[in-house]
Amino acid sequence: MSQIKTDPEMESQLKIGFIGAGNMAYGIAKGILSGDVLPANMKVSAPSSRNLGRFQELGIAVTHSNPELVCSSDVVFVAVKPHLVPLVLNEVSQHITQRHIIVSVAAGVTLATLEDLLPFNSAVLRLMPNLPCLVQEGALLFSRGSHAKPEDGALLRSLLHRCGLVEEGPEAWIDIHTGLSGSGVAFVYLFAEALAEGAVKMGMPSALAHSIASQTVLGAGRLLRDSGKHPSQLRSEVCTPGGTTIYGLHTLEQGGVRAATMSAVESATERARELGQKSAGVGCKK
Amino acid sequence: VVVCFWRMSVGFIGAGQLAHALVRGFTAAGVIATQRITASSPDTDLPTVMGLRKLGVNLTTSNKETVSKSDVLFLAVKPHIIPFVLDEIGPDIEDRHLIVSCAAGVTISSIEKKLQQYRPSPKVMRCMTNTPVVVREGATVYATGTHAEVEDGKLLEQLMASVGYCTEVEEDLIDAVTGLSGSGPAYAFTAVDALADGGVKMGLPRRLAVRLGAQALMGAARMLLDSEQHPGQLKDNVCSPGGATIHALHVMESGGFRSLLINAVEASCIRTRELQFLADQEKISPAAIKKTTLDKVLQQPGVAAAGVGVRSGGISLFSSNSPRTKKN
Repeated sequence: MSQIKTDPEMESQLKIGFIGAGNMAYGIAKGILSGDVLPANMKVSAPSSRNLGRFQELGIAVTHSNPELVCSSDVVFVAVKPHLVPLVLNEVSQHITQRHIIVSVAAGVTLATLEDLLPFNSAVLRLMPNLPCLVQEGALLFSRGSHAKPEDGALLRSLLHRCGLVEEGPEAWIDIHTGLSGSGVAFVYLFAEALAEGAVKMGMPSALAHSIASQTVLGAGRLLRDSGKHPSQLRSEVCTPGGTTIYGLHTLEQGGVRAATMSAVESATERARELGQKSAGVGCKK
Repeated sequence: VVVCFWRMSVGFIGAGQLAHALVRGFTAAGVIATQRITASSPDTDLPTVMGLRKLGVNLTTSNKETVSKSDVLFLAVKPHIIPFVLDEIGPDIEDRHLIVSCAAGVTISSIEKKLQQYRPSPKVMRCMTNTPVVVREGATVYATGTHAEVEDGKLLEQLMASVGYCTEVEEDLIDAVTGLSGSGPAYAFTAVDALADGGVKMGLPRRLAVRLGAQALMGAARMLLDSEQHPGQLKDNVCSPGGATIHALHVMESGGFRSLLINAVEASCIRTRELQFLADQEKISPAAIKKTTLDKVLQQPGVAAAGVGVRSGGISLFSSNSPRTKKN
């Protein structure tokens, strides 16, 4: 946790804006609303009204104008698809002042690219959330740009703390975080599906098997997070000698699940790096 | 200062690797004077026999002599020899004797059944140890027979604890222990050999590579035994992010390293059970016993062919063919 304290009163007066009204923006907005920020101090912009309904239900103001959003916000979340980032930032750049804090949620768009697209000295942070932000159980990693001060990081951390786990790190870790926790969510879904299918093979009806599989993953996850114990410790604690679990684990080991999982994180991370390099080439300079 | 607190005499039926390793360990620990140790073997040419003689152990070719001179009697012969030995020494077992069988896969009840032809309440224990007792880093478990007392267990535990770790277990776990720590040193030797190969491949001289490989394993084991932490946690502590070790670990996982080790322990345990099952079920032909060994056994005074179960049709393990009637 940052040692820099944020002022809740100041926070509650902050204007928070979202460019883009997709799932990530929605999840983050919900998380911020669970804190000290009032819906009246939040705004979201999107070209069409398609996704704006659920924001309005939360009491958040909506607009179709990105410049208007930027002018009425202090903290601006850029939550559009990566290829739209240059377009959007070109559009709003002239409205960005020293008071603004820009937080990009776009995968693969580097701080260097962002800083190039924005006025010199802009405070830019890069945030990689993950899907469970939608249910306030996200894993979020952010990195500060060259002109974002520690207080800006502390502010972001404080705004996001209801979204899930929030950590800061060097930009190099963001691609790893993508592989681990962005894609990691999908790896868990794959595992949950396979658990259920194993049960179905053994004779359990599919719906029940899936329901139990998801609760098993959830329960195990909670226990892992909240116990503070090493996963290998928890694993050992479940394995009674000669019992069912150790038999099952042996089969998993024989299947090379550990190595495959390590490789999966590696592949996803490397792909994130690749994509990051590609987008850096595409970013328009002013 | 190590005190020789043992006033008991210890005997070994069999003077092979196991007896030699245990005596070397006991001697290094100073827990018993070698004059109090007797070992018997029909084969006097074994290198281990000479080694034992050098340590000051009383050697004989007569099992009966070993029995008469001992209080604690280790049966340190191969499992298929056990029934012969029991038939031979059965009549000479006294109340004071504590029989400790070290034979893999041989059950306490099979030994008790044999000996109960001669005494109503033979004190039998079964232990599974391993070769590092020779450097006092053995791993030993023991199970207590029907007529052995708690004090007998404590006695054995004291003795074996002088050469490493020793604890009591339920007998049905001993096969698993065989698979894990009984065979364990062989897994470790293989691992060090291969690690050394890796070192040599990357440019190290062989001797140095072996030394470093063995030291790494020993050091890691020491850390783990001294730590409260899970080995998984200790492993993490060695793996700096993106570093050499985590890369190497990934390679190991890809090769199924963990499952290989699980498989090995399982295979050894299962084989132990198989051998025991075979021993219980089958008749072994005389051809299966080393002819020289059998001949020498038969040459012992007081040993009759019938007494050790040699019949024209083959040798039956664990069946009573003694002319003596069962005592009640």
